[in-house]
Amino acid sequence: MLRNVYLKTLRDSRRSILYYSIGSVAIGLYVTLFYPTIRDATGFTEFLEQLPEAIKALMGDAETYTTAEGFLNAEIFSFMGPMVFGIFAIIAGMGAIAGEEESHTLDQLLANPISRTSVLLQKAGALMTGLVGLSIALFVGLIVGSKIAGFSLSITGTAQGILSLYMLGITLGLIALAVGAATGRKGLAGGVAAAVGVVGFLLDTFLSIVELLDPARFISVFYYFNNSDVIINGINLVHFLTLVGISAVAIAVSVWRFEKRDLSN
Amino acid sequence: MTAAISTAALTKFYGEHRGVIDVDLEINMGEVFGLLGPNGAGKTTCIRMFFDFIRPTSGTATVLGLDSKSDSVEIRRRVGYLPGDFVTYEKLTALELLEYFANLRDGNMTRARVLAERFNLDLSRRIGELSRGNRQKVGLVQAFMSDPEFLILDEPTTGLDPLLQQEFHKLVLEEARAGKTLFVSSHVLSEVEIICDRVGIIRDGLLVTVEEVSVLRERALTRVEIEFADNVSAADFEAVEGVTDVEVSNHLFVCNVTGSVNSLIKAAANHTVNKIQSGQPGLEEVFLAYYDSANDRVDGGGSDAA
Repeated sequence: MLRNVYLKTLRDSRRSILYYSIGSVAIGLYVTLFYPTIRDATGFTEFLEQLPEAIKALMGDAETYTTAEGFLNAEIFSFMGPMVFGIFAIIAGMGAIAGEEESHTLDQLLANPISRTSVLLQKAGALMTGLVGLSIALFVGLIVGSKIAGFSLSITGTAQGILSLYMLGITLGLIALAVGAATGRKGLAGGVAAAVGVVGFLLDTFLSIVELLDPARFISVFYYFNNSDVIINGINLVHFLTLVGISAVAIAVSVWRFEKRDLSN
Repeated sequence: MTAAISTAALTKFYGEHRGVIDVDLEINMGEVFGLLGPNGAGKTTCIRMFFDFIRPTSGTATVLGLDSKSDSVEIRRRVGYLPGDFVTYEKLTALELLEYFANLRDGNMTRARVLAERFNLDLSRRIGELSRGNRQKVGLVQAFMSDPEFLILDEPTTGLDPLLQQEFHKLVLEEARAGKTLFVSSHVLSEVEIICDRVGIIRDGLLVTVEEVSVLRERALTRVEIEFADNVSAADFEAVEGVTDVEVSNHLFVCNVTGSVNSLIKAAANHTVNKIQSGQPGLEEVFLAYYDSANDRVDGGGSDAA
């Protein structure tokens, strides 16, 4: 595990990957095991339709809420999933370059014959790999949970939903990495990425009810992540590629700024 | 022959703050070069530019003939680096760290093990649990383990106990005999005197002078104390060649001598001498002379070289 920067980074985050994966399995199981209770509750749909707009914005479509995919869409893919994936990715991203710099280990790493770009790309690779672990864990949790609870769940829908969630994690993680690589400041990196996530969430949910703010949802990463209700409707290619694009820009900016600046000691 | 290091008007500012200014330095292959100066003079700034951790504001530096910016990876392949405060991954054991860094090079751990044994380093301990001295030993092993042709050491013995310092000096001298090139920054003057062939003195970001250690030693001030049988007067000695800073109280006489003490001894022989004591001429005194700009004890030579 100490062959290169990529494996070393994975090794460093092995506990974190393990714990977040356990968390992902857990929320997968929790939500799927809870679903039959909602499905079988009488009058639930009617109840939902009476809720204020703000709550509906958060819970998703009332008509689909009592279907398995609709329920998961509202429970996993609007809040819990993004939270777990987002926090994991942001912590990994802010630690990648800025974390090493703040703990004064970057000089010594870069005293070895390895380019800054290579260090950065390997660390980004480790972040993406860690998120694959979380994604598999969530998928297993949801599928196993649905089997135990005795309802059928669209495998391809679930997989696509998780793929979109994975891409949201990558986006937030790479934004954190980019700010950290550009400034060397871990706190700033985490703060900016968390703000992108939280503001994005609010713009796509509560704030979208405010007519004035509705157009602003197009700048929200959450809009591209799941506004099209991926687990129900499948991946929206344009939205998905938008997240890929943001991530690519984040990587490009990281490399460009990190190669140019002075490292702090 | 390619120079180990060659800088041309190398300048670094951190925003408004001075790093180093217009440093022109030429270090030959096979040489042990010392960069001497107090903290904050710009030693680390120079070294961090050689490794491309920071970029010059203006001017250029080449290491082993390679450009410090564009050929940095190749420079780092061929040069070993040890900072004064070796900070690295605290959670790894010493062995894991050395394996990791070896893997980033050629994967060869043979020399690392030999050096660890020589320095009596327990490789199974975590870096975070090691004392300052032992941590520095790990740094030393990682710097030397790839057997690089050129080593850049930034205040390598800071915080080491005297025994370990000695052991370290021995290693440096062995490397030098084996034909390696070494660049050592220090504010420990006796250290530079022991291991270096040539010394550059840096002050406030300016390279003040570069001299052979032997030349500096010649120019060194010797402190001489003479106890005479009778009272003497300062005036008897003030004109003597090389003598400065004369202090006399009754029959006790103290002064500094630049270079040879021959003239002073001859002058002293006019009186009855009970006791004579002199400090070893050290770079400390040379160093202080260069620094004490208010007192012009060192004339000509030094500033010409700069």
